[in-house]
Amino acid sequence: MNKPFLTPYFDENLGRRRLAERVWNVIFRASTTAGIIFLALLLFNILNQSFGYVAMTTKVDPDTLAVNGVALEDMDKDSLVAVLQANVSKGKFRQLERELPMAERSRDEVYGLVWSDVVEPEIAGTWLLVDSILHREKILAETAQKFPRAEVTFRSWVSPQFLATPQASNPLTAGVRTAILGSLYTILITILIAFPLGVGAAIYLEEYAADNRLNRLIQTNISNLAGVPSIIYGMLGLAIFVRTLEPLTSGVMFGATEPGTANGRTILSAGWTLALLVLPLIIINAQEAIRSVSASLKQASYGLGATRWQTIWHHVLPGAMPGILTGTILAISRAIGETAPLVVVGAATYITFDPTGLFSKFTTLPIQIYQWTARPQPEFRNLAAGAILVLLIMLMSLNAAAILLRNRFRKALYDR
Amino acid sequence: MVKKAPVLFAVMMIAALALSACGAQPTPAAVEVPATEAPVMTEAPVVTEAPAAVSESGLPEIDPADFSGSVVTAGSSTVFPLAEVMAERFKDEGFAGEVTIDSIGSGAGFERFCKTGETDVANASRGIKDSEVESCAALGRTPIEFRVGTDALAIVVSTENDFLTDVTLEELGKIFSATTTNWSDVRAEWPNEAILRFSPGTDSGTFDFFVEAVMGPMHKNADGKADLEAAEKDILSAANVQFSEDDNVLVQGVLGSKYAIGYFGFAYYSENQGTLKALSVDGVAPSAESADDNSYPLSRPLFMYSDASIMKDKPQVAAYLNFVLSYVNEEIIEVGYFPASDAALEAARQAFMDASK
Amino acid sequence: MENTRQYTPQAPAIDLRRHKRPTEQVIQAFLVFCGVFSIFITLGIVYEIGKEALLFFKLPEVSVWAFLTGTTWQPKIGAFGILPLLNATLMTTAIAMAIAVPLGLGVAIYLSEYASPRVRALLKPVLEVLAGIPTVVYGYFALTFMTPLLRTVFGSDVVDIYNTASAGLVMGILILPLISSISEDALAAVPRSLREAAYGLGATKLETALVVVLPAALSGLAAAFIVGLSRAIGETMIVALAAGAGPNFTLNPFKGAETMTGHIVRMSGGDLSYDSIDYNSLFAIGLFLFVVTLLLNLFSQFVVRRFREVQE
Repeated sequence: MNKPFLTPYFDENLGRRRLAERVWNVIFRASTTAGIIFLALLLFNILNQSFGYVAMTTKVDPDTLAVNGVALEDMDKDSLVAVLQANVSKGKFRQLERELPMAERSRDEVYGLVWSDVVEPEIAGTWLLVDSILHREKILAETAQKFPRAEVTFRSWVSPQFLATPQASNPLTAGVRTAILGSLYTILITILIAFPLGVGAAIYLEEYAADNRLNRLIQTNISNLAGVPSIIYGMLGLAIFVRTLEPLTSGVMFGATEPGTANGRTILSAGWTLALLVLPLIIINAQEAIRSVSASLKQASYGLGATRWQTIWHHVLPGAMPGILTGTILAISRAIGETAPLVVVGAATYITFDPTGLFSKFTTLPIQIYQWTARPQPEFRNLAAGAILVLLIMLMSLNAAAILLRNRFRKALYDR
Repeated sequence: MVKKAPVLFAVMMIAALALSACGAQPTPAAVEVPATEAPVMTEAPVVTEAPAAVSESGLPEIDPADFSGSVVTAGSSTVFPLAEVMAERFKDEGFAGEVTIDSIGSGAGFERFCKTGETDVANASRGIKDSEVESCAALGRTPIEFRVGTDALAIVVSTENDFLTDVTLEELGKIFSATTTNWSDVRAEWPNEAILRFSPGTDSGTFDFFVEAVMGPMHKNADGKADLEAAEKDILSAANVQFSEDDNVLVQGVLGSKYAIGYFGFAYYSENQGTLKALSVDGVAPSAESADDNSYPLSRPLFMYSDASIMKDKPQVAAYLNFVLSYVNEEIIEVGYFPASDAALEAARQAFMDASK
Repeated sequence: MENTRQYTPQAPAIDLRRHKRPTEQVIQAFLVFCGVFSIFITLGIVYEIGKEALLFFKLPEVSVWAFLTGTTWQPKIGAFGILPLLNATLMTTAIAMAIAVPLGLGVAIYLSEYASPRVRALLKPVLEVLAGIPTVVYGYFALTFMTPLLRTVFGSDVVDIYNTASAGLVMGILILPLISSISEDALAAVPRSLREAAYGLGATKLETALVVVLPAALSGLAAAFIVGLSRAIGETMIVALAAGAGPNFTLNPFKGAETMTGHIVRMSGGDLSYDSIDYNSLFAIGLFLFVVTLLLNLFSQFVVRRFREVQE
């Protein structure tokens, strides 16, 4: 084709430009792939540690418990009861008897007790999922050499039992029950406080506030608060709720706790601290949602003689509700994952009972993960990975619930 | 608008209080607990009067299931594994209440026991200081010392370390001192690499003990007594030292490098025996025997402290201490520590009996 | 109004002045309170942290100058220099930004300029998932994956088990979705007409993106950068788990060092006696941190406003 205006320089340059285009295209795609790879690595690492082979051995060799040449598994119930009584402490036997008398237990149940309390299974070694799948033979050989009595079984560190048992020092029996309940209680309080305050502030800023200096200050202030590191909120919570407001947050003022050992490190303080943390998030999201409600809708309402609050309550809020709920769920997700502020406020190190109310000591799931990760033994790494899976599943369900809620509200809005 | 704000602020505070009061409803169950303990208190004296109900330890026999309520304990991270096991066993045998244990360091434990009065029992890996006894007195508490075990402080290096098996006490002091940086500064044949030091933090009883037993002899003032402040300054200003109240962090640090060295309670070493190596000090290796006859220079006592009035007001605390003093020797070896000498344990039991009167 | 009196008795007169107003006034007051509450939070932060920090600075052995320039942080021996902590914070932040900014920008440009709507719909949720993962999980990842990886690559003699490089790298992964999403919003906000004008003049996609769109979105990109920076400085759990447990002034990223936030968490875990020098010193560090992040946020708002004006 005849292109009189195209110089050779242009052709040459065109080649270079096209090359640059291709190169940078690859670079941009590579960046995106890198992001996806990071996520995959993260999830893979967690899954790798949550499942795998464990070498299960026992503290006491069952063969040593054989009586008169009769092996443990062949014994009848009475001999088993005798073995149990001889080998557990008096107090323990008494407690077992109290829970359910030996006479009423089946032979298998007694055998189970002997196994868990006398023979005492324990973990001798643990391996990653990938190793378990690829190097099975090597693992079996290694176990046979180092722990001759051990049996290699596949273990899923996340199990219904894991969810239902409280924290324990033995990795075999430890669970996340206390942590999950602590998290749920804390979040409940956080939402009860932050939701009304946040939505109220958003309504004020969008509907009532004139454009004067005070309101601009409030707006700037909220944006700044959203960027403050979470640990600062923890220190604020420590100074105000745990220390200054101690009579209130420890429950002594309400007579709910004994004054002797009460302190401010309770679920109430934790809930308040997290509420302050997520408040800016809720406000910003709610503001956006309220802003998105069309002005014509509001004006139609005013035109019919409605007052400001009537307009807001009957028209603006329902219209903004999907966005507000999404924002709230984002805030909950953020709050559930927060660790640093609660460590500063004072979550308990060792706590095995379910929280009983606003004024009980607490631990939360992220804090449990933090404590287990800090321990050097590999079994605790597995436990931490299991707990992380539980946390991630909780978060994913929350987000899914958010999306469902938002869609339902949107449908309800348009179907009216 | 400005005038309405204070009024509405008051309304909000009242509303918030009302909200919290609603949440207080589940807790009346806890308030009822002291009432149910009253009949139990009258049972206990009955038990102690009958000689047949005395256990082998000499203490009155108790059934954990008769007690409920809270036992709040906090203190040494060294004592923590032992306390944890005893608390679990206490609960296993029927205790209906809750035991909480916070692992925050002996110093912080005494703080909570003596200054703020938040705990019923203080766990410690060192004896209580006079200043702490005074603070307790201000609260109306007289701390009673119960010896529960012995620890042989383990000086550990990673199993990758190939040049250390034995150190003298003096060399140990130099290893953690600000005057040395490399291993070869302490003994010429050791590698010329930086010493990576891991130590419990200043709130820890283990730290206090180490300063007194190891750093102290290097800093004697004019009249021959150890200048503890100078000794403390020495280790605190050393290079390449990482402090943590959490012994697990120290374990991880030490097993990370062949030039790392750290110290903590023996239980944390025995939990990690595959990856850590304990050094002999002055030729003596830490073990049950060397801890018992004090031939290991770094053996030290483990304590729990409480107060007689707490034991009376909260019988579950007395029950817990009774339980610990009776059965600690059955569990302590497995935890990784060593039993206290018979004389010391007997003294502790006697102190308990005296306090219960 | 007198007109209402003319109505027939059957139709009720609506007097708006008496209808529902008291309730509305109460509600309005409540809403005002909510709005102003946020100011209380900021005042609370400034007051509480400032008060304790002031107690710290009033002590005879502490001077503001030594605080800002000292290279040792060891309260028990009277050394209160924040530089080791600040240095570690800056190191982890620098490593994190070095990862997050190029990759984040790359992802943003890809998503806004190159990707088809289907790919974008697929990738955005992935990034949102990354952004939603709690930081303690990233800390776990740093300790159990990144550190062993670095030790394998560089050798365990070079890389300590606690090091700032591993924490910094994982922090970069944490901030990546943040920077990419804010940048992408900024790029998407550039009017299509600008792009189409460039295409009309014969520019390639790359040239349009780099020469036309990027400069137009500069204020948003700067905001993204500063938000990421602020987030990295305030990050706690990753450094608490992976970076180290003792203040250490070193420029070697493979050695352990404690950041400002890691120090606060470690000391809080060990329990604090109120009014002790340790307690007050934490608030001094907290005040420093708060001031730094506040200044960064204000600066980012200023940049956005300033640059946006120039564009229009």
